[in-house]
Amino acid sequence: MNTQNDQELAKKITALLDISNSELRQGTAYKLQLARQAALEKMARRGPSPISVSSGVLAGAGGTGTFGTPAPKRRLLTDFRVWLAILVVAGGAYSYDYWRVLERAREIAEIDAQLLGSDLPFDAFLDNGFENWLKRTGQ
Amino acid sequence: MAAFLADVERRAFKHAKFAVRDEDAALDIVQDSMMKLAEKYADKPAAELPMLFHRILQNTIHDHFRRTKVRSTWTTLLSAFGGKGKEDDDEYDPLDTIAAESSWNATKDPAVQLQQSQVMKLIENALEKLPARQREAFLLRYWEELDVAETAAVMGCSEGSVKTHCSRAVHALSESLRVKGITL
Repeated sequence: MNTQNDQELAKKITALLDISNSELRQGTAYKLQLARQAALEKMARRGPSPISVSSGVLAGAGGTGTFGTPAPKRRLLTDFRVWLAILVVAGGAYSYDYWRVLERAREIAEIDAQLLGSDLPFDAFLDNGFENWLKRTGQ
Repeated sequence: MAAFLADVERRAFKHAKFAVRDEDAALDIVQDSMMKLAEKYADKPAAELPMLFHRILQNTIHDHFRRTKVRSTWTTLLSAFGGKGKEDDDEYDPLDTIAAESSWNATKDPAVQLQQSQVMKLIENALEKLPARQREAFLLRYWEELDVAETAAVMGCSEGSVKTHCSRAVHALSESLRVKGITL
C-alpha cells in the first residue's frame, strides 16, 4: 500500500470518526461542555492579576506557577526530593561504615593466616633482637 | 481559546477513551487537560494551541496510567481487608442513556445508518486495539491534522518514527477491515 492509498484510507476512517463524534451521547457532550466552561472560567479568573495555583492541580504538568508570577515557595521538609537526598546520604554513610568494618576484619584474618602459615614461632615476630638480626643479614 | 476548546473537546474525549477504555476516566482526563491549557497557556497564540493541548492530553493520559498502576498495587494489597465493590457506589446518570440526535441520524436511510454504525464500531474497536504509539500517531496526524513535525513534537519522537507509526497504524486498520470484508 503506498502513501497515497494510506492517506485516502486514513481520510475515510477519520471521516467516520467525525460522524461517530457527532453522535456522542448527550450526557457525555454535556459533561464535556461543563469541563470546558470550568476551564474558561478558571482562565477568566486568572485575568490581569493571576491567582496562585496550587501545585496539586498541575500534577504531572511539570511546572509550577503561572505566567508573570513567581513560582510558589516550596516547603523544604515536605519536598520528597529532600528526603530522598537525605536517605541517599544516610545510606551511603552506612554502607561505607559497613564496608570499613568488613575490610578491617578481612585484614585481621589475613594477618592471622600468615602467622599461622609461617614456620617461625609467634615470639620471633615480637622479638626486637630477631628483627635486628633479620635487617643485618638482609644487608 | 473558547473556540479551540469547543472544537477539540469531543475528539480529545475519543483520544482519551481509545487509550484508557473508560468513559469517566476519559472525561476526567479531558477536563484536566483543558484546565492545564487554560491555566498555563492562555496567552499563547491560537496556532500553537493544538500542539500544546495534545501534548498536555498525552501527558495526562500517561499520568492516568501511572496512577492506575499505583492504585491497583495498593488495592491488591488492601483487598484482603474486604469492603464493598465499586459497582455498589456507582451513580446512575440518566443523561448517559440518551443518544444525541444529529442531522446525520435524521436524514439517513436506516439500513445505511445501521451499516455505517457497525463500521464505525469496528473502526473504534480496531483503534483501541492498536499499540498506543501507533494510535497516537494516527489520530494526531490524520484526525487532528497536525503535520509530521508537530506530531513528532507532541509524541516526543523523531519524524521518521511518526511516519513509521502512521504507516503501521493504517496497515493494521486496513487489515482489520479487510478481515471483516469491509471496503471503505
